[in-house]
Amino acid sequence: MNMLGPIAGITAFFSIWFGHVAVRKVEFLSPTIWLPTTIFAALGLTVEYLSLSTAHRPLSTFFGILGITLLFDALEFTRQQNRVKKGHAPANPNNPRNAKILAEHCSATTFDLLKREPIGHVISTDESIHLISNL
Amino acid sequence: MNYFGLLVGITTLFIIGLGFPLVIHGERIFGFLWWPYMMISGIVLIVFSLLIRIDWFSVLIGVLGATFVWGSTELKEQAVRTELGWYPFNPNKLRPPFEKIIKKWKAPHL
Repeated sequence: MNMLGPIAGITAFFSIWFGHVAVRKVEFLSPTIWLPTTIFAALGLTVEYLSLSTAHRPLSTFFGILGITLLFDALEFTRQQNRVKKGHAPANPNNPRNAKILAEHCSATTFDLLKREPIGHVISTDESIHLISNL
Repeated sequence: MNYFGLLVGITTLFIIGLGFPLVIHGERIFGFLWWPYMMISGIVLIVFSLLIRIDWFSVLIGVLGATFVWGSTELKEQAVRTELGWYPFNPNKLRPPFEKIIKKWKAPHL
């Protein structure tokens, strides 16, 4: 039995899940992008240092994957902000940075257009908002 | 210095990167209702990685399995993206076996 594969797989799954949720929530709430980006980049580098420092292969694998996903999450804050500008992710009107995006980008919206079940055909943004509002 | 974890992390990044086109094209061709098959494939890969003696290969298969499991949870949202016109919509998708049963289950999204 080689536990390294499952350790890598489970670490990858949960670190992607954590990053996916954290990036969306932090971008929604944080008035700045640079601060969470810096924090995640610093955490990622620290965790990668831990991975390099340990001779224990399973622990090195765990830290190695977690560190890289944290570094990728650092980049994802900017990508998430761009999704908000395009209306592909909801803007938070109570967040001054998001409120500015709402004022400057007509495509930005406060609705989460992905928060519904698929219906099997193409619909407009307005129809989608109508569907979400009726949930 | 033990470079194993760092190299595993970088490899993981590339394998997860493969997950994006996998979800986009998989949803376009098959549709989101194939999610249980994708999830089971991922779990089988992770379990199979237990049996691989070579560390590197075991890790690759484990991470590939995780990418499949994660991808299965992304299919539903990708289907909604195509309905909004953010990605090309294919009306003639391949129907999965046991479609009626799968439709009764709520597709996962994390």
